[in-house]
Amino acid sequence: MLRCVLHMDLDAFFASVEALDDPSLVGRPVLVGYDGSRGVVCTASYEARRFGCHSAQPMAMARRLCPEAVIRPPRFDRYQQLSAVVMDTLASVSPVMEPLSLDEAFVELTGVQTWMGRWAEAGAWIRREVRSATGLACSIGIGPNKSLAKLACEMAKPDGLKLIEPQQARVILDPLPVGRLWGVGPATADKLESLGIRTIGQLRSRPVSWLESIVGRQASGMWALAHGLDDRPVEDHRKAKSIGQERTFGQDVCDSAALRGILLWLTESVCRSLRGRELLAGTMTLKLRTSEFVTISRSVTLTAPTDSTQRIWEAADGLLGQWLMAGMRPLRLAGITLSKLVPRQAAPGMLFEHPEDEKQRRLDETMDAVRRKFGDRGIRRAGSME
Amino acid sequence: MKLVCDRGALAEALGTARMVVTGRSPKPVLNCVKLVAEKDRLVVTATDLEIGMHLSTSKADITEPGTMAIPADKLLQIVRESTDPTLTIESEQEAVHIRGQDSHFKVHGYSPADYPAVPAFSGSADFVIPAGTLGRMIEQTYFAAARENSRYAINGVLFEREGPKLAIVATDGHRLALTRTVLEVAQDPGSQKSIVPPKTLQLVLNLMKDPELEIKVRIAENQILFQLGESSVCSTMVEGNFPPYRDVIPKELDRKAHLLRDALLSAVKRAALLTNEESKGVRFSFTEEGLVLSSRAPEMGEAEIKVPLSRFEGEPIDIGFNPGYVLDALKAAHDEHITIELRASGKPGILRTGPDFLYVVMPVSL
Repeated sequence: MLRCVLHMDLDAFFASVEALDDPSLVGRPVLVGYDGSRGVVCTASYEARRFGCHSAQPMAMARRLCPEAVIRPPRFDRYQQLSAVVMDTLASVSPVMEPLSLDEAFVELTGVQTWMGRWAEAGAWIRREVRSATGLACSIGIGPNKSLAKLACEMAKPDGLKLIEPQQARVILDPLPVGRLWGVGPATADKLESLGIRTIGQLRSRPVSWLESIVGRQASGMWALAHGLDDRPVEDHRKAKSIGQERTFGQDVCDSAALRGILLWLTESVCRSLRGRELLAGTMTLKLRTSEFVTISRSVTLTAPTDSTQRIWEAADGLLGQWLMAGMRPLRLAGITLSKLVPRQAAPGMLFEHPEDEKQRRLDETMDAVRRKFGDRGIRRAGSME
Repeated sequence: MKLVCDRGALAEALGTARMVVTGRSPKPVLNCVKLVAEKDRLVVTATDLEIGMHLSTSKADITEPGTMAIPADKLLQIVRESTDPTLTIESEQEAVHIRGQDSHFKVHGYSPADYPAVPAFSGSADFVIPAGTLGRMIEQTYFAAARENSRYAINGVLFEREGPKLAIVATDGHRLALTRTVLEVAQDPGSQKSIVPPKTLQLVLNLMKDPELEIKVRIAENQILFQLGESSVCSTMVEGNFPPYRDVIPKELDRKAHLLRDALLSAVKRAALLTNEESKGVRFSFTEEGLVLSSRAPEMGEAEIKVPLSRFEGEPIDIGFNPGYVLDALKAAHDEHITIELRASGKPGILRTGPDFLYVVMPVSL
């Protein structure tokens, strides 16, 4: 059977959501990200991209390039909410789907055309459904494998649909710069270019043994991709293995009280996601990165799988206390991750609840409700710092 | 100190001592057992500072009384691996010589003066209970205690006595095991509550040889002491509050099934074969025709087992239980006949056997 993979990418997702919720932003350059000396752009709207702004760029640089840009801090809750709707749409097309991030996913279409009609029709249907369900534009690429589907999607952007047939693969790949190949980073691209290999076609004309002497073990995979060959499966990761959030600081955090406040904020945030997905966590991991780029990761098994902010915070605070025993060191990043997730439904019920746990459960429910109504900043614990 | 000791008796005493001395203490003397040679007996003492025990054997000929502290692990290995019927143990300052017919070990020990004091049973007992009864009560409860700390002190087993009435209770929040007895000898007319670490009770179980033996129990401040013949166990209690367990026992259960323990035990074991991490529950479908257990493990398969009921009262009901929780109770039930009482699929059920044992278990959603 002919293989067929679809790649979907929401156009300028975070920025589009901001414009969706605030129509005054439509048509204006928008940058989503934290505005600080070390903040980076999460998403730039297409209007901002015209000025040279792009994601992962330092916010300060983006502001210089486009001083009139509107800067908005990210609202991950809202993005998650819309992403879930989009992912549900994709899941309704094929049982095998691999989300790569909130705004990007692969769908295995092999065998699906029997009921969806032709593949391109499946793509068009998804684009219509996503727009009507969320108001967002997405681009779709369809190809005989993952890398060609992703490439087709890049070519379709913005707001388009592109199908690469197997026999077109080489014609399309050959003139592209080698940097467009999956897994070829800037360093490898520079190295290949210095040897006279600028395009994928030039790479393809060389024997794999030659490539091996340049890039080592990656050679055979890279060579296959240059031929338009890629047999990696679409992997269904819909069952979340972990929920986490981390924060890179604008300036190194040197104060343990401030660090504690930030971790409490992160804990509140991940616990809220956990409850939103009706999951309980069995393990909590604290991640800290010092200004010297030393990363420390410490995990603790929770006494019983839980979704209580207070219980998870007690665990996080305990780990933090242990780390602080050796003295506070300047930090550039802190994060909280929850794993060993189990559906709340699957956990056995409790015969009794300690009055304190009952109080905390009611507190979590109330705070979640306030945030649903008034947003992330609607309510927080007094000690938490965003 | 010098003595000749029966090797089997010593191996048994040291094996029990190893339940207390885990060998993981950073303080070397705490990885030791203390041997005290008295005029006509050898006492093996072990402690981890929370639990302590004195184990006495008369199967020793003491030539020279004395005391020493020796690494428990090494001494047990030597005694176990030896083949002689008796071993000669002799101290030389802080070292100990262990001699068999063809062997001689010299092991370095520690000063017995550094060994922590382990309280012995003294004074009168608060109550006395036959080993057979206490053993049954411990076996029927301690498995249900929580493994970890939580806000309630449920990582211990509750001993609650009101005059001659003794109840032993353990719970991990998902199930609760309760067993009762009426004591024949209760010196103290008042009431007492203490939460005992499960490890202490395992040790007491291990020391019970004769079911007729009268065990003396004394509760003093934050300690509980057990006297079993020549041996004694003392333990600190778990601090904190036990949940109000009487409130947890559901009332007005309008469905009641009577069945045989062994039939259910075998059926639950078989149904549990087709459960996995994702679908841990086994469905119990009760009707007047009988009980049907069904289970399903995604991507593996499914099972259905029929269990005859001696009698069923009430409307039919479907309810899911974690098979492990049900098996724990069935293994602890000493009676042939059991009853299961239920009210609704989402509400806890009760498993009973005999007049003394009751087990409350939360259902799982299916």
